[in-house]
Amino acid sequence: MKLESLRRRAPFRLGLVGMLVIGCCLITAVIAVLLLVGAPDENGDGGNRIVYGLTLNPSGFDPHRHISSELGIPFFSVYDTLVYRHPQTMDFVPGLAERWEMAQDGLSWTFYLRQDVTFHDDTPFNAAAVGANLDRIMNPDIDSGKARFLLGSYTGYEIIDAYSIRLNLSEPFAPLLDGLSQVYLGIASPTALSAYTKNTYQWHQVGTGPFRLDEVIPGDRIILKRNEDYAWGPVFYAEATDQSLDTVEFRFYTDPATRSLALESGEIQMIGDLLPTDAELLSGNPALRIFRVQVPGLPQQFFLNTQQAPTNDIAVRQALLYGTNRTAIVDAVFQGQSPVAYGPLSSAMPDYYSEVERLYPYDPEFARTLLAGAGYVDMDGDGMLELDGEPLTLRMVFAGWNQMADVAQLVQSQWRDLGIDLELIQVPDFPTLQQHATDGDFHLIAFYDFGVDASILNRFYFTGAQNNWSGFSDPEVDTWLQEGGRQSDPEARAQYYAAIQQRIMEQAVVLPIREYVNLNGISDRLDGVIFSAQGWWPLLRNLLFVP
Amino acid sequence: MIARGVIPRITDRRGVRMRRIVALALLGVIVMAVMGAPWLARYGPRETAPDDQFQRPSADHLFGTDLLGRDVYSRVLYGGRHTLSLALLTAAITLLPGLGIGLVAGSAGGWIDRGLMAFMDALLAIPSLVTALALVALVGSGSAEIALAVGIAGVPAYARVTRAAVLAVRARPFIDSARAIGTRYPGLLQRYILPNAAAPLVAFAGVTLSWAILNSAALTFLGYGGDITSPDWGVMLADGRQAFRTAPWAAFAPGAALSLTVFAIHLLAGSFRAQPG
Repeated sequence: MKLESLRRRAPFRLGLVGMLVIGCCLITAVIAVLLLVGAPDENGDGGNRIVYGLTLNPSGFDPHRHISSELGIPFFSVYDTLVYRHPQTMDFVPGLAERWEMAQDGLSWTFYLRQDVTFHDDTPFNAAAVGANLDRIMNPDIDSGKARFLLGSYTGYEIIDAYSIRLNLSEPFAPLLDGLSQVYLGIASPTALSAYTKNTYQWHQVGTGPFRLDEVIPGDRIILKRNEDYAWGPVFYAEATDQSLDTVEFRFYTDPATRSLALESGEIQMIGDLLPTDAELLSGNPALRIFRVQVPGLPQQFFLNTQQAPTNDIAVRQALLYGTNRTAIVDAVFQGQSPVAYGPLSSAMPDYYSEVERLYPYDPEFARTLLAGAGYVDMDGDGMLELDGEPLTLRMVFAGWNQMADVAQLVQSQWRDLGIDLELIQVPDFPTLQQHATDGDFHLIAFYDFGVDASILNRFYFTGAQNNWSGFSDPEVDTWLQEGGRQSDPEARAQYYAAIQQRIMEQAVVLPIREYVNLNGISDRLDGVIFSAQGWWPLLRNLLFVP
Repeated sequence: MIARGVIPRITDRRGVRMRRIVALALLGVIVMAVMGAPWLARYGPRETAPDDQFQRPSADHLFGTDLLGRDVYSRVLYGGRHTLSLALLTAAITLLPGLGIGLVAGSAGGWIDRGLMAFMDALLAIPSLVTALALVALVGSGSAEIALAVGIAGVPAYARVTRAAVLAVRARPFIDSARAIGTRYPGLLQRYILPNAAAPLVAFAGVTLSWAILNSAALTFLGYGGDITSPDWGVMLADGRQAFRTAPWAAFAPGAALSLTVFAIHLLAGSFRAQPG
């Protein structure tokens, strides 16, 4: 009886379960089909759309406040600057300012602005808008990291008429135009600036540039759309055509090993900072082009701490420079795709002084002699040098970017052959690096920076300057740095910067390793690739889709 | 019924013995290779030779060389010392408190048991690698820090298994008999409960060890190991991955070493669990 009732019920139960399973399968299938059908809609919203991979996710994207070079990749095209540097000639050409003039005494600059410009939010562009931007950058509350430094001796502005503005300086400042040509001094809509707080503006940026900020999902994507009204670009910007880009989506590829794969799979159409080994591999791929772009600025290098023993001894510092085989490092780590660096500035800069290349050829024997002269000898026969029984131990601090860990390990083994024990300290991020620098807790610290004008040296070598991590102080260098900033004659400036570069190297304040070369991979479906004067990114306005 | 059961039992026993022999042989080879690193390795583990970068595996470099021209074979041998000793330390940090908490909870019962286990269950709800990452963020990077973080993250699981084993033995009739003849609890624990709970505890200790190897390697892989030059399987995997397409051997060798070790330990642990009777 019991069995029978079970048997009778079983088919019904199975049927119920079966129906449920089939139902679930159907629903899943419908969802899957919807997702699949929906996907192309999300990606191909018609038009010329590319995905550009960013290599790091900076702590902030507000050009007036933050310092990352990476933020310029999207935002250089969202803003216009008063002047531009021509990518080919490096000369200054009109931007939002049609023309400009420096006063005889060099203490003020007057900018005559274009009258046909509107921001993406329809706010009209005029002298008051420029003034609002200058006010914001100088406001101590916004903690400007770089923009304020670029303004140099700027003290204030006067609005002469609706479309003319005068910038006043406390002393002549030649690099002003260079600063004004950088994205950090891009002109933002005063309406948007006042509508958002200092922290939220970065997600709602409004400029006058060829692209407008369409959507930001922090940490995930940034989407730019073409500004259809744009008709006030600098001379080197191309006219928009059917082939120009409509939409540029930026996504983050912070893990270097994933970049080449994303490029090959077509997930992205362009990205910078490929691993050197990957760039070599990809150069054989016909669907991609590799652009090796030398970026002007400070090379990838180590500052030597002149304030802490034993690197406070110039003989020790010089020995370290003679004892480093830079060519071997660049060949191995960067696969020979970057030039070896010899001085505090990159050879891509107009004021580069090539005589520094004669200094410090690789000479381990001479390095040993210098160290012996400074009192470091191997007393106990263990192959390592000592002074008064204390071993010669140095601390090197670096962050893991740009194969610095590999560079550091090669330096470590080269110096071990000299009898120097090098302790490597890898820090996770820039704030920690800065902490080590301010605490003076290092003998060598890795850093690099980008810029076209040689006055970038001020921040690193002027006595007591913000980033003078080596603690270097030379009254003559201070004077030359000031004069280099004051002089407007390019010849005279070049002479000052030559003397500075020579002195910095004679004093062995820095151990340069390689000049920064950005290894960009770009799909062969894109044409019109012209890199900006700053070198870090191509002009989005000029990119063309090859049909 | 009985006749049918006998035959599989014998093969089962043979299978267990085979597994144990294979596992012990593998582990023996690994431990000897790692211990004998100074004699077996032909290059120093930190010895760079930039001119010899990305050499294919050859007689001179059995597992090839990496970006800095270091001999991968030598680094795998020396790396095993670091990885395995770190894992042993980690496992010890997991096993001792885990065993203690499990025994107390299983023996005491009542509110002590409920309280301890509620706490352990709360920790178990979070994946152990996440707990370990949170802890290492708290205590900082370095080898000892990793052992501490991964070790603590593993305690709840081992405490749970210990408690279950104790409860299972306590429910068996011979415990009642022992109690009836007047054995006090410490003696009960020592003479009856622990020996009978040993098989699952040893088996799970093996699982814990292999888990400790993987999780501490995961943390060194993520760069929490402190010294970046120290040869370690996790660090080597992370380094090798960067040039994986040019020189896959630099990541393959430490990966294979890691997998083989974990496999051997699992096999050994499984042979204890499967022990008949």
